[in-house]
Amino acid sequence: MSAPLAALGLFGDAIDVIFHAREGRAGGAQVGGLSDFGAMAWTHLKVVLASVGLASLIALPLGLVLGHLRRGGLLAVTVSNVGRAVPSLALIAVFIAFLGVGFGNVTLALALLAIPPILTNTYVGVTQVDRDVIDAAKGQGLTGAQIVREIELPLALPLIFGGLRTSVVNVIATATIAPVAGVVTLGDPIFSQAVYGDAGKLAAAIVVALMAIVAEVGLGAAQRAVTPRPLRGTPGITRRARFLPTLRKGAATS
Amino acid sequence: MTRTTKPDDGGPTATPAASLRFDAVQKRYPGNARPTIESLSIEVPAGEICVLVGPSGCGKTTAMRMVNRLIEPTAGQILIDGRPNTERAPADLRREIGYVIQQTGLFPHRTIAQNVATVPKLLGWSTDRIAARTTELLELVGLDPEFADRYPAQLSGGQRQRVGVARALAVDPPLMLMDEPFGAIDPITRERLQNEFLRLQAQVRRTIVFVTHDIDEAIKMGDRIAVMRPGGRLAQYATPAELLLSPADEFVEQFVGADRALKRLALGRVRDLELEEPTRVRYGDPVAGVREALRRAEVPYPLVIDADGRPLAWLDDDDLHGERIADGIGSEVAVVDRDDILRDAFSDVLQHRVQYAAVTDHRGVVIGILSADAVARELAPPGPAPVQPAEAHHGTGA
Repeated sequence: MSAPLAALGLFGDAIDVIFHAREGRAGGAQVGGLSDFGAMAWTHLKVVLASVGLASLIALPLGLVLGHLRRGGLLAVTVSNVGRAVPSLALIAVFIAFLGVGFGNVTLALALLAIPPILTNTYVGVTQVDRDVIDAAKGQGLTGAQIVREIELPLALPLIFGGLRTSVVNVIATATIAPVAGVVTLGDPIFSQAVYGDAGKLAAAIVVALMAIVAEVGLGAAQRAVTPRPLRGTPGITRRARFLPTLRKGAATS
Repeated sequence: MTRTTKPDDGGPTATPAASLRFDAVQKRYPGNARPTIESLSIEVPAGEICVLVGPSGCGKTTAMRMVNRLIEPTAGQILIDGRPNTERAPADLRREIGYVIQQTGLFPHRTIAQNVATVPKLLGWSTDRIAARTTELLELVGLDPEFADRYPAQLSGGQRQRVGVARALAVDPPLMLMDEPFGAIDPITRERLQNEFLRLQAQVRRTIVFVTHDIDEAIKMGDRIAVMRPGGRLAQYATPAELLLSPADEFVEQFVGADRALKRLALGRVRDLELEEPTRVRYGDPVAGVREALRRAEVPYPLVIDADGRPLAWLDDDDLHGERIADGIGSEVAVVDRDDILRDAFSDVLQHRVQYAAVTDHRGVVIGILSADAVARELAPPGPAPVQPAEAHHGTGA
């Protein structure tokens, strides 16, 4: 361990584990180091992408359709609440009975965790589109599908991305339980303290936290980027743009 | 923002306006004992504005929305150019019917140009044709082309409504539906938009169904007015003049208001009235001659005019002394244009000490005198002939 890291105590030790392999506490095999943590981080990422991807495939169309029809609000809210109430750990345990252990099991359990924020936000994002705008679109001869694609989806995008962001961060954090179903994510050092020691456990936590922060910041930027230009201001639901009417000649009068 | 559109840009005139007929149209909602619209039959000739007016809950908006099938009738049918509107798919039908609503419903994430281009794009017009048409339309509704790239939130309410109208006119639809289009706009802007819209309509001559709850707006905008009463029953369908002159029943009479005689003033123009002849004089004319001329005059005040015949001042008895009329004396003359609306002209007359107004032509030359009496005669229904005095005055002026 280098001198500055040593000065940081356990934290420094944890950083060291990420970069340098060492002998496992239980003896024998080498643990830690970039290749070990890199592999776990990659698995972690795959689990996150697969489960959020699956969740989006289900929640996005469902939210768009329910929102477009302005029906099923109760369903969206109930799904959201139930999703938050049932612990993912319990889901994985239940799925072990049906799917056995492995990637599929974890992906499904985490997808169920990821669905509620995406579904709720998509639904709310679509229903909060001004009814007059929808009426005008309909009155001009846009079909239902065109209204969803050209009006409701673009206007709901900021909220949809907000939901996606919440889901991704939740799933990154929760994917640490994947090792109970045999998928070696960054949760492994946390669960296998006997092998990795306190430093390894802390190291995994640091990497997970970093991933969550990067996802949060990155998706925040993406959310801003997909917000239609005139609606930017505060991220999310601003209906009216924040800029003042430009009082150039002719613009002041109606 | 009052840019006059060039008369030769004519705008769209390719598609002829459509005629519209409501044929015993009924609308019931399940669970409601009474129908929203009992049975509506009206006919709107091509190129006219038909105003549906009535108190809230009279079904006027429902009736309008059945035309482009945003609402389907329970019974009866709506014929556009003699063909039932159910012959075509709703989306196709709607693309050929302009649609303007009170809150404009502009797409907030699209620029003004993109908003205006909505229907042309749906119909697959070429980019060039859309761009040309958008510029033309913005000009038609009096918006600077620089607005094209702005977003709706950057515009005032009045400007947004202009965009709404431009969007509705985009493909030159034979028929337009307007649901309280100027309802959410301040009174001054509303008045201006109404006037501009009427001028635009004179140019494009579309068939328009116009919904409002404001009887004054109805009288101003409508070629025909359908007064509806709660329960969707038609109380009267008539021209504005007929409606004001002979309301069909007490409901209509109450709805058009106790001041319906005054409202008729909004319909007429100064040129419609029989004008009186003034005694025209110049500064420096001999007083004796003026007094002589006045004995036979309809208007008991001499009107001073300049060399070109433009009105300068009224003279009264006190001004007529000495040899000649002194320069610059007299009181201010109310001047109205022959094309002015009677209501505005009458108001001018009432605001001046001498209750006669000089009527001028487009060059400003006096062509006659408008009196309060003449306005009153115009409003009075034909009644018994007044008793003639023994010596009738048939003044012809100086």
